[in-house]
Amino acid sequence: MTAIVAYPLLTALVTAFFKQSLVVPGRKFVGFDNIVDVLQGNFFQLFQQTMIFTLGTTILPFAIGFALALALNTRIRGANLMRGLMLIPWLVPGVVVSFLWMWIFNGNYGVMNALLAPLGVEPQAWLAQPGTAMWAVIIAKTWQSFPWIMVMLLAGLQTVPRELHEAAEMDGAGTVRRFFAITVPQLKGIIGLVLLLEFIWNFQHFDIIYVLTGGGPAGSTQTFATSVYETAFRGYDLGHAGALGLLWLILLMALVVVYVRFSEKGEER
Amino acid sequence: MSANFPTRPSLTRRGALQLFGLGAAATALGGCMPTSGGASPQGSAGLSGAGPTDFKFASWSLTEAAAAPALEQIIDGYEAKQGVKVAPTSFPYNEYINQLTLQIKGGQFTGAAHVDVAWLGSLAAMGKLQDLSSLAEGRGYTDAALAAARFDGVQYALPWTIGAIGLVSNAEMLQKVGVAPDGFPTTIDGFEKTLKDLKALGGGIIPYAASTKAAQLKDVLIWMQTFGSPLVDGDTVTIGDDASVEAVTWYKSLYDQGLISPDVDRFDARSLFSQGRAAIYDDAPVGRNAVTKESPDANLASKLNPVARPVLKQGDKPRALVWGGAIAVVDGDGAATAGDFAQFATSDLDTVLGDYAVRGLPPATAEALESDKVASDAFGSLFSERITATATTNPLWAFTSYSQVESEIANRVQAVLVGSAKPADAMKAAGEAAQKLVR
Repeated sequence: MTAIVAYPLLTALVTAFFKQSLVVPGRKFVGFDNIVDVLQGNFFQLFQQTMIFTLGTTILPFAIGFALALALNTRIRGANLMRGLMLIPWLVPGVVVSFLWMWIFNGNYGVMNALLAPLGVEPQAWLAQPGTAMWAVIIAKTWQSFPWIMVMLLAGLQTVPRELHEAAEMDGAGTVRRFFAITVPQLKGIIGLVLLLEFIWNFQHFDIIYVLTGGGPAGSTQTFATSVYETAFRGYDLGHAGALGLLWLILLMALVVVYVRFSEKGEER
Repeated sequence: MSANFPTRPSLTRRGALQLFGLGAAATALGGCMPTSGGASPQGSAGLSGAGPTDFKFASWSLTEAAAAPALEQIIDGYEAKQGVKVAPTSFPYNEYINQLTLQIKGGQFTGAAHVDVAWLGSLAAMGKLQDLSSLAEGRGYTDAALAAARFDGVQYALPWTIGAIGLVSNAEMLQKVGVAPDGFPTTIDGFEKTLKDLKALGGGIIPYAASTKAAQLKDVLIWMQTFGSPLVDGDTVTIGDDASVEAVTWYKSLYDQGLISPDVDRFDARSLFSQGRAAIYDDAPVGRNAVTKESPDANLASKLNPVARPVLKQGDKPRALVWGGAIAVVDGDGAATAGDFAQFATSDLDTVLGDYAVRGLPPATAEALESDKVASDAFGSLFSERITATATTNPLWAFTSYSQVESEIANRVQAVLVGSAKPADAMKAAGEAAQKLVR
């Protein structure tokens, strides 16, 4: 634990207080200067963009995953096969997913423009416009993560006693009423857990954003994860990268506290 | 209700570990950095009578289908000659300098490394490159080539392919708008008019597949120089001056008119050009094989026409950027043999000519340049005459922080292109950021 967690973590925390380059040997103690610089720089823009990405990639796949889980929980033919096929996006490595969507969204020879052209939509540079790039990234990430949510919720749905639905149906409750009065309350725990875990994972997500847009155009899809990487490995500025990482870690720790509390409550129930 | 929960305990542990590990990784970017050391050359270069050993060789060209066979041929040749194994390492060009830097810094890479001469300052600053001056002697490298692979007076690399990046056009497409192969517009105004004529041909043609992705937006620097910006004056970065603002304003106008296209880097440009969707793009001679190999047009090679970059006003000298590949040696395991390999790959005549046949990049030795194979290459000769002849190095290369400076400028130019910033504000900010980095 000391070697794989404590040492790099403490060393990184210390780095936040030094002016230190990745390539030039030596470093100089600068106190809280790096942290102040980061807070006075684009920290709040990064926070906002990270939150947009995180919320988008949590809510959208949740909605799709839940809808599909409900559909697959019915007695439709081929449900098992469909369940297996729908897991494929989740099994594809993030970098491959990124290249796939990069091809789909390419402004010059992408599939999306080719599909939209017959509808009269002018070709768009989806990944190269601030207004569309974040949505493109969110869609790509959604495609990758909805199967996991679907499987988790489907597992939960299959534990809901069928008698509850039958009794409610006899009492005259319609589909929507049963959904909100029986299904959702029965799945409350698993829904909370899935949303929280997705939120935490997406808050620190890196690969799809970085491969698809590199944080661009003009920083419009930059998140904490990509910005730390850019600062350290393109800017070679370990001090500011460490400071940004430190602030990011503090925010993540707050999420950990929520997660632990949530897990404890679940166990108590 | 608890029955509805999945296996929470394992998720809890995994989630917490992952979170903690990634959080640590996020802030641990410099976890194992040394805190002292020098930036002078390391070790003694070459075999100097010692027996050859296995070593590593890094090159971005190994990731490029059109160029990789040339390097594989060189590696095979050296392995056969010395009876050693060469372990290849490769990263795509756009990621190469960062990955190589990390590997060198982390002690994971020693041996021979293919480098862009623009990166020598950044790599030399790490203090792990060998001085290869003893290996450069008596091998017939041209003075210009040796100078291109030198930084701060030290021969940090052996020059391999020293040429330039310039405009390459499709002669057939240009003829459709009345531009003859030797009648390419010489001024910016004429160039822009030709681009408009090309666009008017319709069919989704991108007149000029200029770089617009941040990874290759350094290409805009040569346009800044064309508009009269020196980029650097002494130790002062001049980006933000009137000429650089004017250049970026013009670039943005091309973008807004659809004369250049969003979402393009060098590799996209090659792809668009090879498919006949772009009429002009920026490249080094190495691009020739890439675009012709992938093209549905079997005659594209005969239509390739390198042209001089237009100037702001008649009488100005066309600008072109020196672009060179060199082999540096990172001190450590296998470095002695890596030095010998660098000399072999860059100056053994048969090896160099075999490489030229595949990559088409101008060699760095006088003997190879004068050989029939190189001298009789029409495209190569035209490229040298119209582009390389007036090529200059980028003055920003003189700074060890060049890579970061380039990123700062590229990101701000991209902000202008997508409408997030005004040219004057963005270039002022770019100049200030760059100045801070070179201080």
